[in-house]
Amino acid sequence: MNRRTFWWFTLPSVFVMLALMVFPLMTTIWLGFQRLLLRDLRNPEWVGFGNYSEVLSDAEFWAALQFTLIFIVSTVPIQMAFGLAVALLLDKVGKGRSIYMAALLLPFIVTPVVGTLVVKDLFERGGLLSWLFEVFTGDAFAVTAGNVKWLIVIQSIWYVMPFAMITFFAGLQSLPEERLEASAIDGAGFWRNLWHIKIPHLRTLIVFVGLIAVMDAYRVYDSVFVWTGNRFTDAHTLQVYNVRVATAFDIGRLGKGNAIAVLNVIGIFVVLIPFLWRTYKDQVSERL
Amino acid sequence: MIAIHLALMALVVWSILPFVWTFQTSIKFTRDVAAKTPVLWGYETTSSAYNAFWLKDDDVNMWSVLFYILAAALIAAVLGLVGRWMGRRGAKVWPWNLAVIAVLLAAVWRFPNIWETEPEYEFFVNSIVVTVLTMLISLTIGMLAGYGLARYTGISGVVILIVALGFRALPRTAFVLPYFFGANRADQWLSDTGIATWDFPLIDFPLIDEFQFLDTRLVVVMALVAVNQPFTIWMFRTFFMEVPRELEEAAMIDGASRVAAFFRVIVPIMWPAIIATGLFTLLLAYNEYLFVRVLAPTEWTLPVAIVSLTGGESSRTITEAAAASVSITLPIVVVIILFQKHLVKGLAAGAVKG
Repeated sequence: MNRRTFWWFTLPSVFVMLALMVFPLMTTIWLGFQRLLLRDLRNPEWVGFGNYSEVLSDAEFWAALQFTLIFIVSTVPIQMAFGLAVALLLDKVGKGRSIYMAALLLPFIVTPVVGTLVVKDLFERGGLLSWLFEVFTGDAFAVTAGNVKWLIVIQSIWYVMPFAMITFFAGLQSLPEERLEASAIDGAGFWRNLWHIKIPHLRTLIVFVGLIAVMDAYRVYDSVFVWTGNRFTDAHTLQVYNVRVATAFDIGRLGKGNAIAVLNVIGIFVVLIPFLWRTYKDQVSERL
Repeated sequence: MIAIHLALMALVVWSILPFVWTFQTSIKFTRDVAAKTPVLWGYETTSSAYNAFWLKDDDVNMWSVLFYILAAALIAAVLGLVGRWMGRRGAKVWPWNLAVIAVLLAAVWRFPNIWETEPEYEFFVNSIVVTVLTMLISLTIGMLAGYGLARYTGISGVVILIVALGFRALPRTAFVLPYFFGANRADQWLSDTGIATWDFPLIDFPLIDEFQFLDTRLVVVMALVAVNQPFTIWMFRTFFMEVPRELEEAAMIDGASRVAAFFRVIVPIMWPAIIATGLFTLLLAYNEYLFVRVLAPTEWTLPVAIVSLTGGESSRTITEAAAASVSITLPIVVVIILFQKHLVKGLAAGAVKG
């Protein structure tokens, strides 16, 4: 395909990305240097790095960053190990596989705010798990500032595990049968099979799922917002904190909010740039 | 083998228990919901929560509503099956699929003429409008770009792909705040110059009541198309890479232009790719919360409407929120059942290449 035709095909999409992604991002950077209140958007006032120094000295920012990191470290490994285990089970089962898969996919496909609400209802007063907790311990379970972080983590594992499961399952499907037969002849057991054949086969997928999982955990918004609202601000992640600062009714500070957004973008790119660079190399060498 | 099935069944319970519990809540009387010990079985059921959430008149016979929904679904299913049967005999399938969509949309559109609805029904319609438009726009331009990127070997193609991959990772907040600011400024300009009150005699803007951006479905669609674009072009590119070049080259030797070859030869065999990408676009738009809440403070879609119900502590809002949650989840369950194969294939395709 020659260059001219290529641009005719690509232009609409590139135009959309320029006008609706690049331009807004520039606006974000520009707004990050302005003092700008939500109730008075007419008068942005240049303050240089004023917003940034304010954000970096804001204890809530560091608390949000800390919880975001805890959230990533606690959800990503568990969801991947869990997803791999379920994928191995699904790989073994023949009859009824698609029914199991449909049921297991549901948490991942459902509207995230609704998925969070239905899990939250189990733990709220009058909920099934709250009641079971009372039966066993004698005290009613309540969502508190202390435990809400762990509930967020558990619900998040419930929500994203199917993604790891389905990806690993698809990877296992492409494992050549002969290799497993050969290892069976050598008398390899389940663990040796897993460690020496299945996991090496899934290696690129594990990197891929890990990367996506880290990115999605980093920018989680919906579920944390539903769990915490304005009640448990200690358990806000970076994105929730960001939106709260920028759009709080009457005291929203759009300039500061944009500064936080810029910091968030820089944060994700630190993780991402090695991966982007490697993909770039791969694509350049692949094209022909 | 039995152990594996038992383990999987336990996992299914872990997955769907919250939904089962919410469904129970939605059909209970408030006295049972408020009971100190949960009433697990033998309770009286009621559809009053659904009635209260969707309909103005709180004493409607909900069986008639259910009958209406099931009738529409049945007609759509029959049309769809006839289409498949015709397809197997070599006839065109798309007119039948179009008829299925038309029946479903007509059912949604006629519903308020039969029963007087709460504003929440408007939000449901908004959900559909936003979802359908986002799908149409982002699939059309994404498919063209995906094809171009799969066939062009220049370095600029790779650069576009890598930049798009970077955009895909960015948090929503980096977009929602400048969108809010930009839409606000644009509206100010429109009203300062008086354009906002212009009367366009021939053009009726179906997405906006007044000529403005903020608080319209238009700005939500724009934002969703934008954040979905990187995913769409990568997905389509992955699928197009698998199509052998010889296919369109043969058509081009016969004298067809590249564009004609694309639409006549490539697009007709790409339906699995379009369906898979379309499904993920559908879920993205239907499930969106943050963009709608910030950019459209009154033109809500369903997720925002449901979250707004949950601030209250009374058991009345609990049952209503449960009914709303079940209502918004049912279409997704239908989608999973109908398109599970495409969903799995799409996830796998994104993973293998992505």
